[in-house]
Amino acid sequence: MSDQAATPRRLHPATLIGRSLQIVPQMLGGGAAYAAVIAREGWGRVLLFAALAGLIGLGTALLAWWRFRYTVGAGEIVIESGVLRRQRRIIPYDRVQDIAIERRLLARLFGTAKVKIETGGSAADEGSLDMIALADAHALRDLIRHGSAGPAPAAGAEPVLFEMKLGRLLHSGLFNFSLLFLAAIFAVLQYLDQFGLIDLWEWFTPERAGAAAGIVGLRATLMVIGLLVLLGVVAGVARTVARDFGFRLSRSEAGLRRRRGLITLSEVVIPIRRAQVALIESSLPARWFGWYRLSFQTLGADRREGGVQVAAPFARLEELLPILAEAGFPAPPPPDRFAHLSRRALLRRVGPYLLAGAAAALAALLIEPRAGYAAGGLLVLALLALQRWRSHAYALDERALFVAGGLVKRRLWTIPFERAQTISVSRGPVQHPLRLANLLLDTAGASLMRMPEIVDLDGADAEVLADRLLGLFYDARARTAISL
Amino acid sequence: MEGNDPAAERVMTPLHPNQLKVLRVRTAIAMLFPLVLAVGLDLGPLRETALPLGLVAGAAALLALAATLVLPARRYRAWGYAEAGDELHVSHGLLVRVRTIVPFGRVQHIDVAQGPVERRYGVATLILHTAGTRGAAVPLPGLAQPDAERMRDRIRAKIRQGLA
Repeated sequence: MSDQAATPRRLHPATLIGRSLQIVPQMLGGGAAYAAVIAREGWGRVLLFAALAGLIGLGTALLAWWRFRYTVGAGEIVIESGVLRRQRRIIPYDRVQDIAIERRLLARLFGTAKVKIETGGSAADEGSLDMIALADAHALRDLIRHGSAGPAPAAGAEPVLFEMKLGRLLHSGLFNFSLLFLAAIFAVLQYLDQFGLIDLWEWFTPERAGAAAGIVGLRATLMVIGLLVLLGVVAGVARTVARDFGFRLSRSEAGLRRRRGLITLSEVVIPIRRAQVALIESSLPARWFGWYRLSFQTLGADRREGGVQVAAPFARLEELLPILAEAGFPAPPPPDRFAHLSRRALLRRVGPYLLAGAAAALAALLIEPRAGYAAGGLLVLALLALQRWRSHAYALDERALFVAGGLVKRRLWTIPFERAQTISVSRGPVQHPLRLANLLLDTAGASLMRMPEIVDLDGADAEVLADRLLGLFYDARARTAISL
Repeated sequence: MEGNDPAAERVMTPLHPNQLKVLRVRTAIAMLFPLVLAVGLDLGPLRETALPLGLVAGAAALLALAATLVLPARRYRAWGYAEAGDELHVSHGLLVRVRTIVPFGRVQHIDVAQGPVERRYGVATLILHTAGTRGAAVPLPGLAQPDAERMRDRIRAKIRQGLA
């Protein structure tokens, strides 16, 4: 096996097609644009430049393919790449955390796959073989996982934790209403505008919009809106089906194995040891019907997904509990176990809106009646802030801190104590005189945008809680150290 | 579970007195920029207006002086740290007051950094790096340089102990 396996190999020739499909259109377009800019000498010259650029793109792809070699050794894989600046990367098998196999449409047409080897380092693309034959991909995965290229263990043998049948999939698509296609159309228009082919701002003038509204009337406008909504629903269903088709989560040796995809098939293992935080979330319409989504924040995960891996996109709460248990996370405690924020927090959260609203109401009475609209709007904002205050809560059990919050999208974070990196209590200039404070249990791989921070706790409670969490952190660490 | 003493009784150590001088120099340097701007305004666009010459620049100079006299001392007093058994507590911030707890077991690596002003006054900044997100780097400035290095070595020894 060793001398056969140790010969350097190249990627599947289909890679060339894939690369060319990526590079050549760019080069063609670039060359054509360049020609059009430097000399307005008619289409002959433009086509010549485009062809030249296309050839250069093709040549680059060929060279890159020629200079990329990988060697599957007995204990490590060596990847050599680079046309001018050579890079040689050695990945020992025992450092490999996981291997993800992804198959885009092209890969499926040629029976190939993209293999991503992750080692838990910080580099986004640590070892990527794009693309090799599917059989080779499976053999490589088995070799790294079991130390032998034996027959792949049937995926069906792994216990399935969560699955989405077609009915559930379509159902979930209905809640993924998306107007993204509108944005896409607009992006294309803007692109054309940039190249001077059309002039957007000439099209969309207020006069034209007014004239159009006058011509088409109310009924037609409503019809257009209805059509847009329908298109949004269709787009949402299509997107969901393309992404989550055949969704299956199973328990594998190293973690939770997730397969999904209609056109692009992907297979990922969420390593349990690296799962830091569990997040259960649900947006408003789906929550009314009792649907939730579970994901795990992992360390050094795929950057594109922002360190968050979806484990179940659309499920009932009771379906999530076995997955949580399998991943070693405690189930969330019942709602009555959650502690809510103090009433003093309302002063900061709702108070400003009420004050401004009262001022606007006064202005409406005395000076300008139209200020009444502002007062109404501020009252609505105050009510929303009140609702947000009510939904924000936290709880502790023996193993984790739970933080809940959110208005339209409710989130529930589960942070096992031993996952804490730092604990901090902070007070802003308004919070300080109100004796309020924020508490954050910082974890690895969190998103800066959405953090499970408890905002506007009673200041003294926050201090006590911080020290208590520190103690619980040490206890949990001692426990895991013993169990290892 | 009640292994750690409550926060209220924890005594925070103030920074080295020289850090106050560092903060003063830094604030003075930071104040130069608006001062130059004000002088430029006075000599330039405001020259032809009815405002007496030097009014804006004078006001800016007064403000800068006041800020340099008042802010550094307050900022200095806001800083404090406590090295407990297995963790470091750092508190700081004038507008937003923050207390951060860093368990030594979570420290990935430690830096001792020293800028030009800090070098002049013999103080240094100890920076604890964790794998966290917002708290990925916890700085503790204003330690006498030998103290900072001793602290770094002490923490390093504790991390090693924890790993063994």
